[in-house]
Amino acid sequence: MTSKAIYDWVDERLGLRELAAFARHKTVPVHSQSFWYYWGGISLFLFLVQCFTGVLLLVYYRPGADAYESVRQITFVMHFGWLIRSAHAWSASLMIFSILVHMFSVFFMKAYRKPREFGWLSGMALLGIASVFGFSGYLLPMDELSYFATKVGLQIPAAIPWVGSAVANMLRGGPDVSEFTVQRFFALHVVVLPAIFLPLLGFHLWLVQRHGNAVPPSEEAKPASERKTMPFVPNFLRKDLAMWLISLNILALLASVFPWSLGKPFDPLAPAPMGIHPEWYFMSPFEMLKLLGSVMPGEAGEIAGILLFTLGIVLWILIPFYDTKKESGQRARAANYFGLLAVFALLATTIIGYWTIR
Amino acid sequence: MNYPFWDIPILGSGWVIGIIAIFHVMISQFAVGGGLYLPMAERKAMRMPEGQLRTDWLKQLASYSKFFLVLTAVFGTVSGVGIWFAIGLTHPEGTSTLIHNFVFGWAMEWVFFLVELTTIAVYYSTWDKIDPKLHLTVGWVYAGASAFTLIIINGILTFMLTPGGAWLAVAGTGHEASKFWYAFFNPTYWPSLFLRACVCCALAGIWALITASRIDGDKQPELKTSLVQWSVKWLVPSFVATPFLLIWYLWMVPASQQALLTLGIDTIGSGTFSIITRIALLIIVTSATIVGVAYFLAYRNPRDFNLSHAIAILLLALIATGAGEYSREMLRKPYVIGNWMFSNGVRVPYVSRINQEGYLAHSNWVWNDSNSSYSRGEAIYRGECGSCHTLGGYRPLKTLLSGRDRANIASFITMLHDYKPDAPYRRYMPPMVGTKQDIEDLADFLNAQVNPPRKPAQTAQK
Repeated sequence: MTSKAIYDWVDERLGLRELAAFARHKTVPVHSQSFWYYWGGISLFLFLVQCFTGVLLLVYYRPGADAYESVRQITFVMHFGWLIRSAHAWSASLMIFSILVHMFSVFFMKAYRKPREFGWLSGMALLGIASVFGFSGYLLPMDELSYFATKVGLQIPAAIPWVGSAVANMLRGGPDVSEFTVQRFFALHVVVLPAIFLPLLGFHLWLVQRHGNAVPPSEEAKPASERKTMPFVPNFLRKDLAMWLISLNILALLASVFPWSLGKPFDPLAPAPMGIHPEWYFMSPFEMLKLLGSVMPGEAGEIAGILLFTLGIVLWILIPFYDTKKESGQRARAANYFGLLAVFALLATTIIGYWTIR
Repeated sequence: MNYPFWDIPILGSGWVIGIIAIFHVMISQFAVGGGLYLPMAERKAMRMPEGQLRTDWLKQLASYSKFFLVLTAVFGTVSGVGIWFAIGLTHPEGTSTLIHNFVFGWAMEWVFFLVELTTIAVYYSTWDKIDPKLHLTVGWVYAGASAFTLIIINGILTFMLTPGGAWLAVAGTGHEASKFWYAFFNPTYWPSLFLRACVCCALAGIWALITASRIDGDKQPELKTSLVQWSVKWLVPSFVATPFLLIWYLWMVPASQQALLTLGIDTIGSGTFSIITRIALLIIVTSATIVGVAYFLAYRNPRDFNLSHAIAILLLALIATGAGEYSREMLRKPYVIGNWMFSNGVRVPYVSRINQEGYLAHSNWVWNDSNSSYSRGEAIYRGECGSCHTLGGYRPLKTLLSGRDRANIASFITMLHDYKPDAPYRRYMPPMVGTKQDIEDLADFLNAQVNPPRKPAQTAQK
């Protein structure tokens, strides 16, 4: 009786019954490609892990000159500090991986078409911010590897014509990567980026609620009577939660068997150690620029590389506006080839990148 | 020492046992749990009212028993023999000690094996051919025989961690077998037995979900729902009891071994053995997940439960089993048989004798003449380090010793040799045994690996 009274009291103020009724009516399509529906949820889960572990790291991390020492303490002195740090670093990689899988599944299911254009655009923005999260977070321990990788990474914005060096100097807080850079990256990582990411994520999720899950063209072609669905609450939600648990296990496995270690403290005067390379999700653009640089040496190559890369990304982002028809006509097939080319280019350049680490 | 050393580069010989053992444990514990599952399920079906569901259950169980027979009696048996080969080659000294003490135990186990193999073959081939009650009895006999194989092997496995004071008092006197039952019912026997029994039940449920997931939920909704939900219930004893049993088990482990588990709380440094903490954490996370996933995917959604869900649960169980077996093995460090034999096969009371006479004086397989294909240092490395380390693969000495010069390597080995009570490595590494000359020879060999001499051509190029 009491619980009903409390429920009624809250319902009167927040409209719980309306929410429950809304949830009851929401369904998820069931077909041979349903597996791909979980990847957005997995990305969200890993983002929540990022927030949780990030806040715990924030308790002990000290940006600036003390950065390395504080990460050393977290890793080797604080009880289970290594676990929180490893979980944070591994879930960052896993999150970017699952966002990429989510993006390609949306692409090949043609889920960016009317009326879901904003879903695609906001998703692309979220991926962009997630990669900046990764880049800014990588420097924070200020060990040898993160220092030199950031130095190399900042060569990409520095290569932008005219404004490049000013942008790079602004990011670095000077002509070189130093403790000022850590301070800036820290502010970016824990304040600026979350402040943009969170509302955008809310918008993205709201759009998913509004338009529901898109079905692939092959499923759309079927008559309505042959299409199967399952209720979102509780059936799909339970499966979603199970996928979250499995993701948590993979994260636990990686964090415990391959804990994120800490290199030597950075020394700007020391020569760059062997095998400096960016994180795996930046390997592909890094390698593409390197390859173009070897074909067209000098500044021209850098500019051409950046232009080509920017053009590719713009084309990718604008796909909902030129691949609009539901039928799998000429343009739809061209979009598929574009997607396959992107997957191939990403994989090939990443593999070449790792193959040629020196 | 009495046997030649089996050198497996990169992987290390320990992992040869490890890989076979993890899969074997998955199957053999399934054989025990599934042995109980089958007659219990058959009895449940026989008690159902006459009708379609009863017929479907029995039909499903008959097909399940074929899967069970092939997996346990073929793969389980072959991998079991594989473990014998692997431990005999990898750790002949330890294997020899076990055989000398437990030959009677193994004889008993093999009797039960034979009963097990016979009854499961009869059980599978007599569905609908003999009186159902007699068929069920065959199932119960199988369940009993397979349970006894666990009851026996558990005594031998736990003996290696905690041989017990009574056995240690007679160890090395030639009268070890007189303390057979003391060694068998050693301090960790009971918690380990209950722990494994719970795991067996859980594995029975998990493997049963594999076959149950293949039932078409749209065509046979009642069969699928009842079978999937009943199979998930087999995870409950494990879920409820395992935390308490684990605490009991750890309670019975010597304090020096318990301390190994906390090494990784403070550090993840390589060479500090902290990995055991991390792997042990995996057991907890993965086990809890299995229960959660089984509840969400199978128990609450039985009709939609498919093969990929079932395989996901099985893979999680494989991680949990692997982590569990790895932790159990590591918990014994620095011994292979607690307080009696170090993990490199050196018996604890022989240390001072070898220190005086030299390690190779007791290595009957090493010929000490100039025609030897490897140096004295390499022979000592193979005998004393190779049980746990490789040069460039698993626990690589080249990496672990990198940055040290010849003098530094020698002083490190001397520290292992002196084995002072406060030496940090003492907690998980055996002492280096041998004379001063042995230390120098080993240091020479390791230094040549860690700091290889530059080839003249390379130097000239530079």
